[in-house]
Amino acid sequence: MDMIFLILSFFAIAGAVGMVLAHQPVHSALSLILTIIALAGLFALLSASFLFMVQIIVYAGAVITLFIFIIMFLNVKEANLPKEPNKNITIFLGFIGLLPLNFLILKALYHMPSKALVLSQNGFGEIKSLGMELFEKWLLPFELISILLLVALIGAVVFGRKEEG
Amino acid sequence: MNSISISIVIINIILALLFSLGAAPILVWIERRVAGFIQDRMGPNRCHIKGIRLGGLIQSFADMLKLVFKEDFEASGIKESFFFSLAPVIVFCSAFLTFMVMPFADNLKIGAQVFYMQGLPIDLGVLWFLAFAGLSVYGIMLGGWASNNKYSLLGSIRAGAQVISYEAAMGLSLVSVLITYGSIHLVDIVNFQGKLLFGFIPAWGIIIQPLAAIIFIVTAFAEANRTPFDIAEGESELVGGFHTEYSAMRFGLFFVGEYVAMSASSALIVTLFFGGYHLPWLNTQVLQNHITWVLAFIMIALPTVSFFFSKWMFNNNRWLEEGNIRNRESKLLFKVIIGINLLVILGLGFWLSLGVEEIGANIATAVIQVSTFAIKLLLMNFVFVWVRWTLPRFRYDQLQDLGWKILMPLAIANIVLTATIVVVFGV
Repeated sequence: MDMIFLILSFFAIAGAVGMVLAHQPVHSALSLILTIIALAGLFALLSASFLFMVQIIVYAGAVITLFIFIIMFLNVKEANLPKEPNKNITIFLGFIGLLPLNFLILKALYHMPSKALVLSQNGFGEIKSLGMELFEKWLLPFELISILLLVALIGAVVFGRKEEG
Repeated sequence: MNSISISIVIINIILALLFSLGAAPILVWIERRVAGFIQDRMGPNRCHIKGIRLGGLIQSFADMLKLVFKEDFEASGIKESFFFSLAPVIVFCSAFLTFMVMPFADNLKIGAQVFYMQGLPIDLGVLWFLAFAGLSVYGIMLGGWASNNKYSLLGSIRAGAQVISYEAAMGLSLVSVLITYGSIHLVDIVNFQGKLLFGFIPAWGIIIQPLAAIIFIVTAFAEANRTPFDIAEGESELVGGFHTEYSAMRFGLFFVGEYVAMSASSALIVTLFFGGYHLPWLNTQVLQNHITWVLAFIMIALPTVSFFFSKWMFNNNRWLEEGNIRNRESKLLFKVIIGINLLVILGLGFWLSLGVEEIGANIATAVIQVSTFAIKLLLMNFVFVWVRWTLPRFRYDQLQDLGWKILMPLAIANIVLTATIVVVFGV
């Protein structure tokens, strides 16, 4: 288990770093896929099977496909990419800037009480129990989020539509 | 893990390999012969090993050998060599993974243990298929992009747009199906279809969800990149589309991956809408209870079918000249058929005389169900081939219109209809 966790985390971090560092937009998008699939694997390790599948279907299957589609559609030539003369310095500054946050997180982690990780109940993370939870306890927030998504969808259609006449 | 569970896991993996990878040469053969017959010619049937032609099946193996030994050429314009090689691997692996959740038979009960009869013993079913079918488009997009030419890039862009638009309709049509069945696990779905509607019609998906079945089948064609939706390669407009620059085994992986994806789509269609591994009117329970009669029926049916097949074979597969090498095949196949008949009849007769116990009945049921699934899978694959050689390719704008303006509203209407019926009648 630990070995799988280490491998998946390595790929997740490597993908994230690659996404920031890559010069070509397609390479960035591909690194992002690596991160997303590795994250899906981590969800699966936590026996959240529904989250695992949704992560792959929605993010890897649809969102990033759209990203790559747009990048390919624009078909940016190597020469037209923005030059990044101060790249190394920017990366270094960003690294320094993030260090305090990392220390904070690590400290918080070490102060947490250690606890044996066991499944909270049978059927945790499966679709049926998740749906029951969602529609019994969190019905109103769920529906509100659905309406928000619907508004975004209709907005996109309105913007994308050609003016009549 | 005892020896029984290990052997069943191995059997399952071999079955999954057979149905996906092993089916590829057979599907290529079916594709070429059916194309031939539809265009009023014979199709490839000359390739032979010492006179054994198997109706042209040997041609597929010759083709595979050719692909393996061809020069693996890479044009000098390709800069992203790594992604260029990675693309066919993605297509192949994701197509192969989608097949892993298809149940070949009902859960097999041996003693106290229950086994899932599918490649990977997980119950994510439909979601798993959606996830990995969606990933396969990366292979196509990456391949076209890495090929570094305009035709390939156009092919990948088309593939991307097509998958995004058809996945929406596919997902929505699946929602109504899942409302009806009340589960995403494919074994539950098939067992639901084992029931009878009004006492005499098998409750297959195509009967209780006809609209969803049509939408799903159409979108599955698009997802598997098959004609009439194969605009990603559209050879009349884009030379070869995303695989223009590919040769040898890298092309071979694309080629085999397409057939594996087609087989996986057929398997899901069969499982969702055509009763999966169930014979009509004979669900698992009925089969297990009447296993002696079913086995006896097989003992009578097999020789009858073999008799007519042999007669047909001797009428059609012969050569006037006596000693010609072409005359050897029919004789040899006849001997093989007689051998199989003897083996099956003697074996079954011996087993029946000893008496069939519960474990035996379960295993016999599983074998019958696997064969049923194989036959249904082959028929559905035949439909894929049939459609390919019957319908012309869609124009690109027509394809998008069909996806967004027809299939998607229909799928949403179907969800509302299904949900209303389920809530009102409480089925």
